[in-house]
Amino acid sequence: MKHTTIKLLAGLGLALCVVSAHGFDLQQELRNAAKELKKSGGKPSEIGGYSEEEETAIGRQIAGNLLGAAPLVKDDKLQKYVNNVGRWVASQSERPDLAWHFGVIESDDINAFAAPGGYIFVTKGLYKKLQNEAELAGVLAHEVGHVIRKHHLKLLQQSKLVDLGGKLLAKQAGENEKIRNLIGSGAEIVARSLDKGAEFEADRIGVVLAARAGYDAYGLPEVLQDIGHVSANDSSVALLFKTHPHPDERLAKLGDAMDDRFDNIKGLDLTSRFYRIK
Amino acid sequence: MMNTIRCCFLATLLVILPAAHAAESGATVKADDLKAQPFSDAKTVARLPAGEKVEILTKNGGWLQVKTAKGSGWMRMLSIRKGEARKASGGAEMAGLAGLASGRAGTGKVVATTGIRGLNEEQLKEAKFNEAELKRAESYLTSRADAQKFAAKGKLKARQLDYLPEPATGGAQ
Repeated sequence: MKHTTIKLLAGLGLALCVVSAHGFDLQQELRNAAKELKKSGGKPSEIGGYSEEEETAIGRQIAGNLLGAAPLVKDDKLQKYVNNVGRWVASQSERPDLAWHFGVIESDDINAFAAPGGYIFVTKGLYKKLQNEAELAGVLAHEVGHVIRKHHLKLLQQSKLVDLGGKLLAKQAGENEKIRNLIGSGAEIVARSLDKGAEFEADRIGVVLAARAGYDAYGLPEVLQDIGHVSANDSSVALLFKTHPHPDERLAKLGDAMDDRFDNIKGLDLTSRFYRIK
Repeated sequence: MMNTIRCCFLATLLVILPAAHAAESGATVKADDLKAQPFSDAKTVARLPAGEKVEILTKNGGWLQVKTAKGSGWMRMLSIRKGEARKASGGAEMAGLAGLASGRAGTGKVVATTGIRGLNEEQLKEAKFNEAELKRAESYLTSRADAQKFAAKGKLKARQLDYLPEPATGGAQ
């Protein structure tokens, strides 16, 4: 209980800093939120307890920030193609009706990012390593896994930035400006390390969603094989390797999880229609 | 200087790309059976220990066709790691990665010197909201129904499949 109170106070302090820097006073709201939290037994707001609108507003802000660092590759056909593949894969998840957005961003780094609400981006560097549509599907499905299990949303809550915001956001839903102030600028949240368990979980979801969509389930493992190949000294994988378990470790875990379960599940890799960047 | 690096980069790429056709080397990361065909109840050609060198010829789903000192056949992709000096499940290599995580990677590996556009934490931290790009990104939205049509064109068929449980034991860690 004591611990919770301290955490709560720390959270309040942080939120106040963020808020006051942008010049609007929410002290009373925060006090009320704190009171309500106390009433509910001092429990922080329920994990993932945002409405879909709130989640999307948060994700939208983060996605816009990320695009501020790396814009979309200027290739309409490419962007439409990844949205087609991504949406088909996401349709196999338990959130098929979320407004899923996918994009390839201008960066030679090898990486992929997910933000709450279904905003998913792959770097051009990673895209160029892909050999077929099943591999793309596997990569996107891994990110879809993060979204449906709300990994980043939980991380945001733990970081206290949006912690007591559950209730605040509810009151302000629709007011983008205020959400923007709560999240702030910057998109480092997409590159923050999740715990390893979350990455392994997203890998397991990734192979299953790809297989459900009719693809060869081994697209994602194949990509991990190729990325594991890149020297750890190569700057293009610096951020990826820093924030994820090494591909070899991920492959070992996937190997244990997949075992012989996919032996009789044949899928397509659709190499012929895979869209290649000029 | 920059050109040289770019050239090297391209050269590397050219080596990697045709990998699907040319032979590629790798090694087993765990003991597993070498099979005559790419399925589990096919005849076993040999039992390979971990650390056995293999030459990868082609891929079929979760199977790789390989040539080894103990014969040729098919092995599960996840029992093999591509590449030369790769350690079993990242043990020794992870030491280098730990160094990477604790500070800047090496010395000269800063994004700007290579001319390759990277995306490091600093850039992400400083990123400013870009409304126009976000709207563009949202303009490519594919509806669920259109995604279904796209899948049908590729002859992709949806199927039922349970999520994978977390493996009971820690495995290699």
